[in-house]
Amino acid sequence: MDAPTNLAAKGLCKTFRGQQVLKGVDFEAGAGELIVIVGRSGCGKSTLLRCLNGLEIFDEGQIRFADLVLERRQGAPQGDYHERARRLRANFGMVFQSFNLFPHLDLLGNLVAAPMIVKGLSRKEAEAVALPLLEKVGLSGHARHYPIQMSGGQQQRAAIARALAMSPKVMLYDEPTSALDPWLVDEVFEVMRKLDKEGMTQIVVTHETRFTREVARKIVFMEEGRVVEVGPPAQVFGSPKDPRTAQYMSRFMA
Amino acid sequence: MTSLAFRRAGTHGIFLWAVCALFVQPASAKQMRILRWGGDSAGGAPYVFQDPKNPSRTIGFEADVADLLATELGMKARFVQNQWDSLVPGLKRGDYDVVINGLEITDDRKAEVEFSDPYYLTYEALTVRKGSYDIGALADLKGRKAGTLKGALAERLLAGTGGVEVIGYDTQTMLYDDLALGRIDAVLMDHPAAVYYGIDPRLKNLPGQFGRIAYGVAMRKGDAELLADVNAALSRLIKSGKLRQVYERWGIWNPVMAASFADDIPNDHADPADYRTYLAARGLHLGWRAKLDVYASYIPLLAKGAVTTVELSLLSMSIAIALGLLLALMRLYGPFPVQALATVYVEFIRGSPLLIQLFFIFYGLPAVGIKLDPFAAAVLGLAMNYGAYEAEVYRAGIQAIPHAQMEAAFALGMTRWQALRHIIIPQALRVVLPPTTNDFIALLKDSSLVSVITMVELTRVYGQLAAMSYDYMGLGILTALMYVLIGLPFVRLSRWAETRLTVSLRRTDA
Repeated sequence: MDAPTNLAAKGLCKTFRGQQVLKGVDFEAGAGELIVIVGRSGCGKSTLLRCLNGLEIFDEGQIRFADLVLERRQGAPQGDYHERARRLRANFGMVFQSFNLFPHLDLLGNLVAAPMIVKGLSRKEAEAVALPLLEKVGLSGHARHYPIQMSGGQQQRAAIARALAMSPKVMLYDEPTSALDPWLVDEVFEVMRKLDKEGMTQIVVTHETRFTREVARKIVFMEEGRVVEVGPPAQVFGSPKDPRTAQYMSRFMA
Repeated sequence: MTSLAFRRAGTHGIFLWAVCALFVQPASAKQMRILRWGGDSAGGAPYVFQDPKNPSRTIGFEADVADLLATELGMKARFVQNQWDSLVPGLKRGDYDVVINGLEITDDRKAEVEFSDPYYLTYEALTVRKGSYDIGALADLKGRKAGTLKGALAERLLAGTGGVEVIGYDTQTMLYDDLALGRIDAVLMDHPAAVYYGIDPRLKNLPGQFGRIAYGVAMRKGDAELLADVNAALSRLIKSGKLRQVYERWGIWNPVMAASFADDIPNDHADPADYRTYLAARGLHLGWRAKLDVYASYIPLLAKGAVTTVELSLLSMSIAIALGLLLALMRLYGPFPVQALATVYVEFIRGSPLLIQLFFIFYGLPAVGIKLDPFAAAVLGLAMNYGAYEAEVYRAGIQAIPHAQMEAAFALGMTRWQALRHIIIPQALRVVLPPTTNDFIALLKDSSLVSVITMVELTRVYGQLAAMSYDYMGLGILTALMYVLIGLPFVRLSRWAETRLTVSLRRTDA
């Protein structure tokens, strides 16, 4: 039943200004899975996401994706860590809570920037990739609009398209709908559902119950820098094994 | 750029000339050689000043002396402008071969440069306002304000009198103007200056002669051959009476010189032609049409100065922008030593006066073997100084862009440099455009400071013309207007660019 594992983190530790945010996190994601990470604010779920694609440098632990390994051990020299992190990151697309589109570029410009700069594609080649993606997220008519001219939901869909333009194998979402008005949330989830059907591996940090119940293949519950419970929604929602999970879920469902 | 290249070529040209001169037979080489002589044409009449009838020409009795001397040496005289205070440093730098500009032969200066025999002798003269009847000698100046040129013998004479409040001036024109306006009570100056400036109807020259002054041709220490040649030439010019003719034309031949030159036969036919011309030019009561013609005659010279100002400012600002960006990136993203280096640079350059930096580059660096021509030194000085200011502007501009933008770029696989170049800096650009334009306008005006290193730019031309015409008001307005006109297109350009760049940050569909 489980998909083959292709992303695995082991013993991730991260300390911010003396406060340990990740205390040895193990995490696995199979190809094509949609995984939702839940937990209280400050439980380390965002940090975990940012460590996965190397935006945050973890202090200790190991991340393995396909045949790429990123590893750090206390006191060991850094070596070519940054280069490895960049190579690993090339497989991940990231979507932020505040969209973070480039305000000085129009929508198409946002989509073609990285393919042209990082992959060295010509503008034409990059647009050939970008235009179908705009269509996929329902923004075909907005190619020449600037981010500020669009609604939050449109901006977030554009941000997803921008990440997809780099052809990632895994998509990471850091509270993608938290900054949106409630009636704009669904259009973003719609895109994510579509990607799920296409077999994209997606890891989502979110507080949206309905989406989590309906779409998540697996739920990871974190508390105080540790993974407390992992399981399918029915199990984690319905009959959690850990009392901490049960306590959190009762609030989460309310 | 072109101008810089041109000037470089010019310097090389002179160098080639010098090399050629070594190999060609002395006689023919000598005829083609150039005697570069330094002076300050803003100093005023009758020494070296702009011809009121043709302001692009430099005239004066010392210009005539330089021409005579050069001809006597089989050379051609070429005037090099420099600020009077800086004439000796410029000579030591090698910007010119000799200084002929009222440089008194004193023991202090002899330690610095070689002096020829005197080419002109005179004394200090007192000038007061017409209504002053209680000043006749230096002692009468006790408790009063007396003005003279900075660094002149007269300044020491006044200081030695005791109880006199000595006010040092940069130019003679202002000195006598201030006396007429009542800002000071007396002027003690070399006699020729009194002859030319004491004729103001509000002023009178007193008969007393104070001290003894001898002007000498200054040369670099060690130019023994040139010194011998100059002295021999001067002696011939004295014997032939040619020097006396010059002084008579300018109306400044005096008994001291007659005694020293052993040439005391009275000359009743002496015609102070140049003095009369000068008086005529000064005393003219012009109608508004004639006045317009005079202003029109200033325009080409001012325009030339303005072109230098623009070239200087554009080139300096371009370099300052590049340097500023580099420094900002060093401060923001460099490893610690690089950061520290950039910080020290910014604080040091920003914290010390531009004037001192210019002097350092122009007159200080030659001591360690780096000799820049005036244009290059001016550009370097302005660019280094403004680079420090730009660095802070750009640092603030880059920091104003949310860090999330950098993260988004990283997340898309960009390197730090790619993110900076394509995402952060283009956004910072519109933030820093207004302050950068501001700085450019400031630089445009600060570029007037480079006149201290022999550059003749707009403000310098204004000074020269004003010293000649006394028209501080009309010329002041004209020059200020030119600065504004130079700046305006750039202000417009920046506003246009700002609007264009900001389009994407506004809601145009609202």
